[in-house]
Amino acid sequence: MKRIGTRFRALIVLVMAFALVASACSSDDSSSGDDSGSDTTAATAADSGSELVTIVARCKASPPTEEGRCNNLLRGAVDANAALEAAGDPRRVQVDIIQDNADWGDYNTEFELASSAGEAPDIIVAGHESIGTWATSGIIQDVTDLIGNYPEFGDVVDSLWNSTELDGKRYGIPQDAEARPMYYRMDLLAELGWTQAEIDALPADLASGAFTWEDMFDTAEAAVAAGVVEPGNGWWHRPKNGPDFLYYYYSAGGELLDESGALIYDQAAALKVYEIVADAVDRDILVDTRLDGDWTSWNAGVANGDVLFWFGGSWQWADWAANYVPEGGEEYLFETTGFGPIPALAGGTNEPTSLTHPLVYMVSKDADAELALMVISKATTKELNTEYAVTSGHLGILTTQADYPPYTDAVFLSEVGSILEFTTFLPNSPFYSSWSEAYFLGIQAAESGTSPADAVAIVVDQLQNELGDNVIIK
Amino acid sequence: MTEEQREQVLEAEGDALSRAVIGAPKQPRSSLGRRVRSTASSYGFLTPAIALVITFFLVPGVLLLILSFTDLSSSNFSDPWNFVGLSNYERLFTDPFFPKILRNTVFYVFTTLIFFNLGLALVLALVTTNIPRRQGFFFRLVWLLPRLTPSVVYILMWKRIASADPFGIYNQFMPEVLGASGGNLFLGGSPWSFVILTNGFIGASFGMIIFTSALMSIPDDLITAAKVDGANTWRIIRDIKLPLIKWPLLFIATYQTLSLLTSFEYILLLTEGGPGLFTTEVWALTAYKRAFSSYFGNSQWAYGATWAVVLVTVALIMAIVYVKIFKFNELVEEPRIENL
Repeated sequence: MKRIGTRFRALIVLVMAFALVASACSSDDSSSGDDSGSDTTAATAADSGSELVTIVARCKASPPTEEGRCNNLLRGAVDANAALEAAGDPRRVQVDIIQDNADWGDYNTEFELASSAGEAPDIIVAGHESIGTWATSGIIQDVTDLIGNYPEFGDVVDSLWNSTELDGKRYGIPQDAEARPMYYRMDLLAELGWTQAEIDALPADLASGAFTWEDMFDTAEAAVAAGVVEPGNGWWHRPKNGPDFLYYYYSAGGELLDESGALIYDQAAALKVYEIVADAVDRDILVDTRLDGDWTSWNAGVANGDVLFWFGGSWQWADWAANYVPEGGEEYLFETTGFGPIPALAGGTNEPTSLTHPLVYMVSKDADAELALMVISKATTKELNTEYAVTSGHLGILTTQADYPPYTDAVFLSEVGSILEFTTFLPNSPFYSSWSEAYFLGIQAAESGTSPADAVAIVVDQLQNELGDNVIIK
Repeated sequence: MTEEQREQVLEAEGDALSRAVIGAPKQPRSSLGRRVRSTASSYGFLTPAIALVITFFLVPGVLLLILSFTDLSSSNFSDPWNFVGLSNYERLFTDPFFPKILRNTVFYVFTTLIFFNLGLALVLALVTTNIPRRQGFFFRLVWLLPRLTPSVVYILMWKRIASADPFGIYNQFMPEVLGASGGNLFLGGSPWSFVILTNGFIGASFGMIIFTSALMSIPDDLITAAKVDGANTWRIIRDIKLPLIKWPLLFIATYQTLSLLTSFEYILLLTEGGPGLFTTEVWALTAYKRAFSSYFGNSQWAYGATWAVVLVTVALIMAIVYVKIFKFNELVEEPRIENL
């Protein structure tokens, strides 16, 4: 009995100790469960007579390079409060941020479910294509009439506003933009026998269409055959679905929207895309397991010189320099890695291409749109946006950045920005997500051994099942 | 006093003693009242459990069923109850990848179950109960580590081991040792092996604990008697231990089948159902992906619910089949020796 009593007391002590530790961990109000942590501005709440309004902002950002995405709102809140004070407005804003690096799908779903539960953040940063779905379902606000109240927004590059529009109304404010180039390893090309002059001329050849997709595959095949790279490492695309695969379709001559805004699935263009990826696998340029969803291995592979050609994004340059290259950061990348637009595809448009996928600040349905836009406007300055762009490898979104030395001095941004000449965009359609999933299924199928023609049939079947009359099969 | 009179006196004294001890009233209440009180008492004790089952299983189950007859998704969020009849079910059963996902699920459940959740668990229990007690305890503790480790950390460790070169340690060195080319020999080359290993190591620990407990409760004199009769270790295991732990074996088989059928989190973290085209995708993962996960956030809640409804139905049917085949009622009835 005494023995049981001793054990019982020990158990009680253990439980109490655990409870103490747990309560200590939860006592920090600023940590609300996200990986990179939440933070709060030091608002001027102490001012007598002021009315404090809390604005919650939600951002997906890869640490440490992209954290300015939400952190700039914290800094913008300080200027917003100064402006409110100067205007004699008794309100003050406090911005709480929730910032982590969740997958886009999970991140978007979280916002949808939070909106349904009435607990959505006031501001969310997401890809512009989400406007199609979210504006249609009414969980974000139309801010068209409010934008003119904030002069800072007049500095935003005009063409970027197109990405925030649906049916002539604006549902967001551009936050960043990027280029999606083809990268290549200059040291591996040299090892394959290319002269320095040929390597130096490659960006221009890509831009002029002289170096085509077929040339890239031929070079990659030669590199595999010569043992310069391992089989399967001649060319890599991203390891999971994403915006990039759409420019394959554009390159193949595919149309995506008709005049009424309805989505189109062009079977001939899709077939061409599926033939390309199947061909890459057949020629040992690409492994059939490349779509393994593992970004870490993918980034490590390309940054360490295992791969000859790969399609990526400008923001990844900053990520590789900060987190992946063996040593030397950006200097190492400049020595070893080149970039240019996505090569032209013979039999398609025969033009080089790329894609820009602007992220936009959106205001949720129940938020105070006026105050939310005021905070966003104070974060939309050349100083803050340039700091973010240079750190994260994104392109500037403001006209004044074109002659702002901290921006123009960033060599990578200056060079990769030229790819915008060939850029394309995702559509703002509420049905694009389903279209994209189906189209990507065809890429998965073709790469895994299904014939390209069968892959097209699978996709058509899925599109008709999911979208019915909302897609035109051409 | 005759023998019969003596027995009547003894019986009366016994009744009086019983009433004194348990404080029973001298005049018993009517049998109907007793039955009502007993029934009410039983339901009173069951109420919390019934409330939990209704709140967390029955209501969500009914909602899931209703949801599966709608077309609710991200793109029609503002109109949640648009009923579309059986079209989701029609779509599911005509999905070109339905057979592949079904095959994957059957393969995953029964391979993991037979080789790990039952097989390895039994081997571990037998071995660790046949060595000195302290060592046995230590080895069981080691085998519990996968279960004690948070799932994300556990899978991250496996990815560090088996992912493609240069991220995965094995792929950095082993292909050269094995004389193979390519830097993605393990997780990329044989993803099923790793899906089954990672799940199996966790599942084995559960069976190991249950089997160990059952094996340690076998009376020593049975084993001693068998040894005296000349039985070797194998005979003792086959003819004494296994028959005596039949109930835990069948329980683990049933429980783990249902558990594996609905589990997907380790596969999601390890391979996301890939690489390639649904290579390691199982039913529960498809339900999750359809309902909650796509690159652009196109959540098809209704279609995901349809996959889940079919899964729950299959699981219920399997539970009933197991109960019937394994004759659970006979296994849990009172030992006959008590009825003698």
